[in-house]
Amino acid sequence: MDNCRYRRTAIETLINEILTFSENNPQLAVHITTAFRWIFVVLAAYILLISIVSLLSTRATPEIWGYFMVEDGGNYPLTHWENVIGRSRSADIRIPLRTISNNHALLVRRSEDKWMIKDLGSSNGIKVNGYKLDPDKRYVISPGDLIEMGGTKSTISPPSIEETRNNRFMRRLDKEPVAPWKILLAITLFQLMTMVQLVLSMGTDMTATALISIVVLSAVMWAYVMIFNAMGRRGFEMEMIAFFLSTINLAVTASSDPGSVLKELIAILIGLALMIFMCVYMRDISRLRKLKPVLIGLSVIALIINLIFGTAKYGATNWIKIGESGSIQPSELVKLAFIVIGAGTLEELYEKKNTVVYAAFSLFCLGCLAMMSDFGTALIFFATYLVVSFLRSGDISRFILTGVAALAMGLIVLRFKPYIASRFDAWGHVWEAEFMDDLGYQQTRTMSFGAGGGLLGLGAGNGSLKYVGAANTDLVFGFVMEEWGFIIAVLAVLCIATLSVFAVMHIVAGRSTIYTILACSAATMFLVQTMLNVFGAIDLFPLTGVTFPFVSTGGTSLMTSWAMLAYFKAADMRRNASLAVRKED
Amino acid sequence: MRKQERRAWICLLLVMVLLAGIGLFGYRFVKSGGEWATFYGNTQIYTDGTINRGTITDRYGEELLKCTPDGFEYSDDYETRVATVHAVGDSQGNISDGAISVFKSQLIGYDILNGTYDATANGKKIALTIDANANRTAYEALAGRTGTVGVYNWKTGEVVCMVSTPTFDPAYEPDASADEESSYFFNNFLDGLLTPGSTFKLVTAAAVIENMPDRDSFTFDCDGVNKIGKGDDAKLTDVSAHGEVSFRDALAQSCNGAFGALTRELGSKTMSKYAKKAGLTEPVQVDSIETAAGSFDFPKDDKVKLSWAGIGQADDLVNPCAMMVYMGAIANGGEPVQPTLIKSATFIKELTGGKSLGRYIDSDTAAELKDMMKNNVVENYGEYNFEGMDMYAKSGTAEVGSWNPDAWFIGFTDDEDAPYAFVVWVKEGGFGAEAAAPIAARVIRALGSYGE
Repeated sequence: MDNCRYRRTAIETLINEILTFSENNPQLAVHITTAFRWIFVVLAAYILLISIVSLLSTRATPEIWGYFMVEDGGNYPLTHWENVIGRSRSADIRIPLRTISNNHALLVRRSEDKWMIKDLGSSNGIKVNGYKLDPDKRYVISPGDLIEMGGTKSTISPPSIEETRNNRFMRRLDKEPVAPWKILLAITLFQLMTMVQLVLSMGTDMTATALISIVVLSAVMWAYVMIFNAMGRRGFEMEMIAFFLSTINLAVTASSDPGSVLKELIAILIGLALMIFMCVYMRDISRLRKLKPVLIGLSVIALIINLIFGTAKYGATNWIKIGESGSIQPSELVKLAFIVIGAGTLEELYEKKNTVVYAAFSLFCLGCLAMMSDFGTALIFFATYLVVSFLRSGDISRFILTGVAALAMGLIVLRFKPYIASRFDAWGHVWEAEFMDDLGYQQTRTMSFGAGGGLLGLGAGNGSLKYVGAANTDLVFGFVMEEWGFIIAVLAVLCIATLSVFAVMHIVAGRSTIYTILACSAATMFLVQTMLNVFGAIDLFPLTGVTFPFVSTGGTSLMTSWAMLAYFKAADMRRNASLAVRKED
Repeated sequence: MRKQERRAWICLLLVMVLLAGIGLFGYRFVKSGGEWATFYGNTQIYTDGTINRGTITDRYGEELLKCTPDGFEYSDDYETRVATVHAVGDSQGNISDGAISVFKSQLIGYDILNGTYDATANGKKIALTIDANANRTAYEALAGRTGTVGVYNWKTGEVVCMVSTPTFDPAYEPDASADEESSYFFNNFLDGLLTPGSTFKLVTAAAVIENMPDRDSFTFDCDGVNKIGKGDDAKLTDVSAHGEVSFRDALAQSCNGAFGALTRELGSKTMSKYAKKAGLTEPVQVDSIETAAGSFDFPKDDKVKLSWAGIGQADDLVNPCAMMVYMGAIANGGEPVQPTLIKSATFIKELTGGKSLGRYIDSDTAAELKDMMKNNVVENYGEYNFEGMDMYAKSGTAEVGSWNPDAWFIGFTDDEDAPYAFVVWVKEGGFGAEAAAPIAARVIRALGSYGE
């Protein structure tokens, strides 16, 4: 114990000596920063572009779970766990006969030799082995059972050993995700240089704890990749992106508020643990389905507690204080639950009750957020709700109708909340004399200091935007522009865009709609959140005060961003890439 | 599941919106980044609202202003400060065309790659084209009178002298709110609009050369009063009776009667056309500064007023800088070079000349005017007053209703090492040739190429 304390003091003494030295040698610091700015941009471009290209250029060959064989009608490979049989063009197994309804039957894989079949209210019904099925009831069938629909005979056959081998062979031929080692080295170098840069720019304002936090993040990153690589996992691009953005987060926090860096690190660690847990948990669909009512209950409690005990920060009452200095943002955690509650298996999507529950829950969340005056988060929830309902129902007219209704509601809110309405006055006019030092203060400073960073940035710790309110959260895009440069700031946005494109690309190989919707709704949340944050800060949209995923300072938000990554991991169907999917041979 | 696959495009739509927004911002960043970065809210480069980095020097590197986090440090020399303040600018921003505001982003050293990053934190050094010594000389020569002196190299476009009086000491800046004092902040050279008097005869003369092929046979009998109709005011008085004058003599003697007659012959339309051709009705672009634009009224139905307008009186208003550029046009064969205040790549400018403003007048016209302006010097102003200079000029004495008329002297020198076009205006200075010409001679001599 004593020994340990002695060592800690020794490290602190050493670091303090370095800090003092750098403060006394400003000219040296300037020379190093001048060179570092270039290296940072090159490293960041390397790390992010390699990861982005790997994510977007690798595509999984769909797995084949069996064949649906129609008499005189051919063989349909079953590439999903959930399939709709019907006449409709969008049916997974399309039998173009007039006796078959548009969406005739649902066929869901249960295990290697068990499938579930359900009549989706077809006109002519289904018979299995001569037995007429009740509509909307589930029946378990086995490969080989005779399925009669609208005069056709069909059966499920398991893939032969040869076919299975073939499919696995094809999947082996898929381009592998990029190996993580070089990227890891690059990020580590980036982190080390960030520490040096922060010491040079901040001198004794920098704390030993902040620097050690960056070292711990680096160590955790290596441990994570090494452990899961040893367990046979191959895809790490998303985590690399997240670790990189988290490094920027720690640097931004260290520059603006060195005392909070440890808190950010802890949030990352909890978020990472939560992500791993969620990935493993979500491998089993039935577990995920059972979790829903629990999540609804927890979310409702969390939001109600927030409404009763919440404290205000920048106008929105979305914080709960814990102890002396701690505080959490329950609405951030509810985001995680909101995504799960909106997702559903194909079977659930055909159940009205499921849709009603989701709509009711969404309305409750929006109501609570409105009462907290957290309109930014409400907008994120609402956009996600819109996209998810569209994914579920495909009803574009309802999509538009809901959007218009929300717009009308929004206008009413503006009427009664002059504080919000005033932000709209400044929107698009922040450079006019009337607003530039008033309602447009934050935006003009974001753009001014941000542009001052040029393409390469002034170097971490050298910025001045940090003295403006909410610089490391709502205005973090400008913060990154000033200290890290326009290139790295734009790359950070591209990372978020890439995660989303990746999620959409991999739907084709998806097993269940539940994963598809999870990924798309997580993508929507990230996208809308990024848009509101970035566009708000640079006057392309009224400033709403939401966080940039991973990058903004704020424990709860950072933790949630990490946990959300699990939803993207669950959509990653590349062979043995993701720990959210059981390993293949 | 295929349905859900197809519907996922909606997420891609959101990606597009995000990328489009970033694209738009990227465009604005490239276009307006310099403006944003130099905004006074940027405390990296502003301390208490004033720029905290950058140095402004004259063309020879003499330090005129150093911006530091502790405020502005002007030259130690009082005369340098007051003689260059209109070119350099002041900390309060009262001088709108000062280098401190106009060349802000160069001073800070903003570029899109580095933003405001500056390893030395001293900003950039920018050299103005003005010669501090010539400015001091001009200030001394104006001797406390209101006026302006502007000189530029008509080959390269570099403004080597720009002084405006009344002036003030920027190190102890007067209060802008007092009306009387705010004229200190006004730069007569760039922003002034003044009655040109007889200097305008060089414009009328250009119109005569290009429109009256029989000008050599023109004569006018000047009786000193030159009645042109009924009524007491219908006359173009001259200082004395010039007798019978030719076109050439009329310019040398600056005969109002003769030029009135020429103006009437040219008519209102032609006069308007030539005021415009001489560049006097449009602002002159000096880097990013726009000078004031002159204005004229040549009435069709009022012979008397038209005549007075043709000799630079009536409602005529010109900007001194524009007059200087017109001198540059005559000197440079009809095509003037654009004036500039910031010294950059002088070597290339000397080889290729500055940026042309296009053709003002025919080269033959320019040559004839040049010849007549030499004649003015020889016949009227006396070459001995401009010893060693190849001087071409025209004086002006503008009646503005005050106790003493405003004195003008405009023209150019055509020496290999000293191609200077100039304008001198002294408010209430009296006769142009007496009050303004010596100032021009003294300043050009101070410019250094005449061995002084």
